[in-house]
This record gives sequence, structure tokens and C-alpha cells, in this order.
Amino acid sequence: MKTIQILGTGCPKCKQLAENAEAAAKALGIQYTLEKVTDINKIMGFGVMITPALAIDGQVKAVGKVPTVDQIKAMLAGN
Amino acid sequence: MCGQSECCGPQTNVLLYACSGGANVAEVADRAARQLMSEGLGTMFCLAGLGADIQGMVQTAKDAEMNQVIDGCPVDCARRIFERHGLANCRYIRVMDLGIEKVKGARCAHDQVDKVVAKAKEVLGPACKG
Repeated sequence: MKTIQILGTGCPKCKQLAENAEAAAKALGIQYTLEKVTDINKIMGFGVMITPALAIDGQVKAVGKVPTVDQIKAMLAGN
Repeated sequence: MCGQSECCGPQTNVLLYACSGGANVAEVADRAARQLMSEGLGTMFCLAGLGADIQGMVQTAKDAEMNQVIDGCPVDCARRIFERHGLANCRYIRVMDLGIEKVKGARCAHDQVDKVVAKAKEVLGPACKG
């Protein structure tokens, strides 16, 4: 079970990142949970100051950009 | 906690890191970075966070378009931190290379800050969109 967290307050890029992450997880056929972390203090707790950001199993994988579905698939596979 | 979270990030993904030492050259580095930030040429970030291996901050530096690093003296603490993390997307300036002497207990002068800001703009070149 992978834990995917989208760090961001809900801007269009955050939503795109969530869609890409979901598509990547589904394409890999893995079990996952997807959480949108919108609380700014929780986001800063990851050491993240620029959003959107992506964390997988608690590890920040991308900051300030929206990785493609293929890039997220690689992150999920390599995590 | 250092810095501020910005949803959807800044216009330019140039991050600014300054020496955080106690001598005047550190103050020059810090104030130059803040000046660059106020001019919209980048976003100042937490060098201590990188030094402390805060994973999210290391990833932030990895994902930056460019990291402009301003060291104070030849000890090059900031540069070493970036090198330790294997980050290649960096440009370096050393305050003392610009003819500014390191003097403990002294405060920095405006013209010294201006000199570092001008050098940073030159070094950043095309990465600097402000």
C-alpha cells in the first residue's frame, strides 16, 4: 500500500498533480491511498515551502512542479 | 520554520541561499539575497535546512531551476552543503572574492550589498527573469 500525498492549498496545479498521481497509481495497478494535504503548517512540516509538492510514503518526491504520469509511475515504482 | 509556502510556486524557480555565519561577510550575503528576493529575482531559502538534511528542503533544491548560492568566505560552507547533496543546478558567489574583507564584529555597508547583488545578477544571467 502506497501513501500518496498532494501538498498544496488547492490551486489548479495541485489538482493536476493529484490527477496525474492517481492516473500513475492506477496504471501500475497498485494499492494506494491519496491524501490532499492543504494545511499550510502540515505542508511546512515536510520542509516544503513551494507547492504543489508530491510525497510518497512520507518522502517528498517533487516540489514546485507537476511531474507527468510517467514520472510519477517511476517514483512509485522506485520508492 | 524558514521561508513561506507559496501555492503554485513563485514566478521564477530560482532559489537563493546565503551564508549564515556571524561575520560581516555573512551579513552581506544575507542582505544581498534578500535584496535579490525583493527585486523578484528569486526566492530566498533556508541553507540551514539543507545542512540539516531536511528531506523536503533537499528535494526543493533539487527541483529548482537554479540555486544561487552566496558564500561569505573561503570556508565555502554553503557550497559544500550543495556539493554534499550532489546538486549541480547551482551557481556560486563568494563575497570575499569581490574585495570585501572579513571582519568579525563589523557591520556590512550598502555598497557591499550592492556589489554582491550586481554580481549575482551577472552570474544568474538567463536564469534571472526578473
